[in-house]
Amino acid sequence: MPDEISLTIDGVTVAAEPGTNVLQASLNAGKYVPYLCYYPGMKAFGACRMCVVEIEGGPPGTPASCTVPAANGMVVTTNSSKLASVRRGIMELLLAEHPHGCLTCHRIELCGPADICLRHVSVNDRCVTCPKNERCELKDTVRYLEMEMDTPLTYNNRHLPLAVSDPFWEMDMNLCIVCARCVRVCDEVRGDYAITLQQRSGRSLIGTSQGTSLLESGCEFCGACIDVCPTGALVERNYKWDKAVSTVTTTCPHCPVGCQLNLEVDKRGRVIRSIGDIHAEANQGQTCYKGKFGLDFVNSKERLKRPLIRRDGQLMGVTWDDALDHAAERLAEYQDGTYALIASPRGTNEDNYVAQKFARAVMRTNSVDVSSNLRPELVSPLRDLLGYGAATNPIWDLENAKGFLVVSSNMTEEQTVAAVPLKKALSNGATLIVIDQRETELTRHADIWLRPRPGSESALLGGMLRTIMDESLDDHDFLADNCDGLDALKYSLWRFDLIQVEASTGVSQDDIRSAARLFAQTGPAAILYGLETVAAAQREACVTALVNLALTTGNVGKPSAGLYPLAVGANAQGSIDVGCTPDLLPGYVEVADSAASKSLERAWDAPIPARPGYRISEITNAINNGDIKALHIIGDSPNFTNGELGSFVEALERLEFLLVQDTFASQITNAADVVLPSATFAEKEGTYTSMERRVQLLRPALAPRAEERSDWLAISQIATRMGAQRFGYGAPSEIFDEISDLVGLYGGITYGRIGPRGLQWPCLAADMLDTPVLFEAGFDARKAKLGQMIPAANPEPANADYPMHFARGRLLHMPEADVEIETNNGRNRIRRDDVIEIHPEDAAVLGIAEGESVEVASTRGRMRGVARLTGRQKSLISSTALFGQMITSLEHDTSPDPMLKAPTLPLLPARLSKVSETAAAD
Amino acid sequence: MSSDAKGIKDRVREAISSGKRPTKTVLSSLLSVHDELGYLPDEAIEEVAALSNTTINEVWGVATFYTNFRFTPPGRHLVEVCWGPTCHLAGAGKIIDSIQKQLGLSSEGETEDNQVSLKYNTCLGACAQPPVASIDHRLIGRLTANSAMRAVSEVLSK
Repeated sequence: MPDEISLTIDGVTVAAEPGTNVLQASLNAGKYVPYLCYYPGMKAFGACRMCVVEIEGGPPGTPASCTVPAANGMVVTTNSSKLASVRRGIMELLLAEHPHGCLTCHRIELCGPADICLRHVSVNDRCVTCPKNERCELKDTVRYLEMEMDTPLTYNNRHLPLAVSDPFWEMDMNLCIVCARCVRVCDEVRGDYAITLQQRSGRSLIGTSQGTSLLESGCEFCGACIDVCPTGALVERNYKWDKAVSTVTTTCPHCPVGCQLNLEVDKRGRVIRSIGDIHAEANQGQTCYKGKFGLDFVNSKERLKRPLIRRDGQLMGVTWDDALDHAAERLAEYQDGTYALIASPRGTNEDNYVAQKFARAVMRTNSVDVSSNLRPELVSPLRDLLGYGAATNPIWDLENAKGFLVVSSNMTEEQTVAAVPLKKALSNGATLIVIDQRETELTRHADIWLRPRPGSESALLGGMLRTIMDESLDDHDFLADNCDGLDALKYSLWRFDLIQVEASTGVSQDDIRSAARLFAQTGPAAILYGLETVAAAQREACVTALVNLALTTGNVGKPSAGLYPLAVGANAQGSIDVGCTPDLLPGYVEVADSAASKSLERAWDAPIPARPGYRISEITNAINNGDIKALHIIGDSPNFTNGELGSFVEALERLEFLLVQDTFASQITNAADVVLPSATFAEKEGTYTSMERRVQLLRPALAPRAEERSDWLAISQIATRMGAQRFGYGAPSEIFDEISDLVGLYGGITYGRIGPRGLQWPCLAADMLDTPVLFEAGFDARKAKLGQMIPAANPEPANADYPMHFARGRLLHMPEADVEIETNNGRNRIRRDDVIEIHPEDAAVLGIAEGESVEVASTRGRMRGVARLTGRQKSLISSTALFGQMITSLEHDTSPDPMLKAPTLPLLPARLSKVSETAAAD
Repeated sequence: MSSDAKGIKDRVREAISSGKRPTKTVLSSLLSVHDELGYLPDEAIEEVAALSNTTINEVWGVATFYTNFRFTPPGRHLVEVCWGPTCHLAGAGKIIDSIQKQLGLSSEGETEDNQVSLKYNTCLGACAQPPVASIDHRLIGRLTANSAMRAVSEVLSK
């Protein structure tokens, strides 16, 4: 096959890549051909017939150019009077079922909704009353075709009721032109099939099975169907009618995927819509429920407007100068290591760099961490064993992987867009092994789903490694060339014989063997892990085992393979890179490494304490022990209140001084002595580093509304007031220049270079490229290390009160479950009996029979449901909810930023009891 | 959930697993249910979706594409009246009118008591005997309005 095809389009010879169709080739060559059903990134469909062309040396007549593969020597005509008349004829057929009085009128841009119309177009048939007015592809196409005004203004109004009862999403099938882009994006790109084409021929329309709600049809509320709809048929409910005056591309603050979003801003300075940027490499036009519908918090009227200081027990509004003076004065009392700083995962690299510099250079402590950083072990073994503590490959590499191992990650909800290429690969036949106690969307797609006893995950992975070694499934050449420590690893595996692993994990030997074989024999294979249900003591061993699995099977250093730690927090990766962590300085310099920290000390003109500081997980204890007396918190986090940090909020009472920089009032700001209003991501300039090491820009979409300031600015101003010299930053780019000077991995990155696709570190110098895939050229001078496997002690139950584990799961779609949709006040909700799965032996002990009412009491509340004795693992209770249930609760949540606190699925210590008949009736 | 709905679910499951159709696809499973129950209840869509590891929407898309699938229970008896060209010329219009009047219907469909499904048929293949109707798959030719109504009442009284 030739590398490039050459064809002639309208007399110009253009080059096209093999595999593209004629439409793509002409669009790429800058020749516009009208189209309605084609959409970049999706397969050609050939339904709308708008892209007809004439091709010499191709199919006869006027073929749809999207369905004709470009071939060498084709001579394509995209515009002729014949084509124009064919297109107009087709458009007239489309308009026969779409209100078009305005579409074919020359006054289209001039009329208001209530103007008197000579064409007698009724108000609700006018384009001005369509939510997609001014961003309607149908209108653009009609304009392009220069339709005559002789088409009759009557049309076949379908008179279908609007679907407006589901969260976030509205559908008006009277405006649909049945291009099926929505159905195809849902199926082809997202792998959900939550909507479908019903019926056939002229009666075909978009809908759900039996017209049911999206809540039970498998919808993940990603809004992809809305983004691709060329008409007003599918729209966002919020700000449905609002018009944008500007669009800014920036980075989503919700998770570490780093989706590029086009934020539409209206004339009142509100973000009214968010649309995934189709040109972005990080998300390729996709978003998720958080990025699509969860950004309204920036428009909230409840945002903190001015600084507050506690006087006589009350928080009082003051000027910035007063607040900064006060904060600087109070903080000066705690430069003895009793200060700690909790930064925000939404902080930019610049914010968090300045935060840690402030903590270290001014407050003389290493107690600085990010509030989301509860699982630092996700990346630390990667750094020790491979060299870089980050994902080895880009997210969209997953699309071409042939095998996956996903360990304890609910990534379809937490890092949703990273799961899009994964699901795509699965639909192309890739294999999937899931290790998780919870039932999640991915377990539904899994070839093998292993549910080990909680706390035995590393033993299970050790068993898989053992099988790979015993059956000689490893990649001998790769190991010999690239890895150290093979003998020690093999030796350490002697304690992982499958009899023992079966006993400790509760997973059968056969299952372990087949998982190991499947993983080792399908390549390239990627490993994705969140370790969300893995106990802290097990995490390091788990990641070590996963690195070993990747190395022994030769799945490191090549495309579509590798390891992907799945952290939470938009800038989790960048925060570690810039040293916002208690044991590492910027650029992964160990705190204790005094030689290496010298250059930082010189740059900052301040000594750096050598003792590592308190981690986020240790903060509550440190406050209670009196080791931390002054706390500085930037940004809100669900971890403050969900029990992950113990009784954190109560501990705040013991502090002598609490400084909070945040956007909204919360329990935390209520306890504060000084509150400084923070700018949100939409007002900030700066950079985030995503989970695939991609440094991307935040571009301000909004002007500051009140007195809020970026966190780096507020911290620098406090630092300067405390007498520090090197905090005179004028703009985030100056901070970033300092970061690239100090952090080698960022050495070649500047704001100017980042551009629309971002840059993936390491990018060492201005004249060097960035690095999408790590270790592609081997492991530099040294070799990768294989870690030794240490068997974990048998896990103890969490405590005597809660002897069991409760694994809650969540699925998009459960056709087998009895789900009822009820509509209250025009809003759909799901009603169903929760099913609680119990192991038959546990049920026998408690005297529970199939179908009886049971109650699970966990450390975070109670839940009732119907018992099913289908559990596979003793002392593990599980229950699976529907995603739709969560979406309705998020929609009704009145807190300012509900998506930030979207409920996750931790594994909880729990106890089970039978509900007596009388109690069940309550 | 009512016991009735449970019953349907079991019948759907039985129909799918009965193995009368050689392959297990979405379409063959739907056909099995349709053969067995005469229509596709909601439960069939859900069961087939669960069985084929897809969503209810994909199954619904397939099912609604084929106009021969029906989604409500058929009447106990099936009355098909031919309205092909030959029967049309021979007066099928009158036959249809009289049967509709007799059954209290204004077009194709089921009677209120679900005793009879009335369907128009484009050709029953007995053009030598127009006008033709088929009652529970038994052909009757050379109908008049009266004989047609008599044939319908006969089958209703069974």
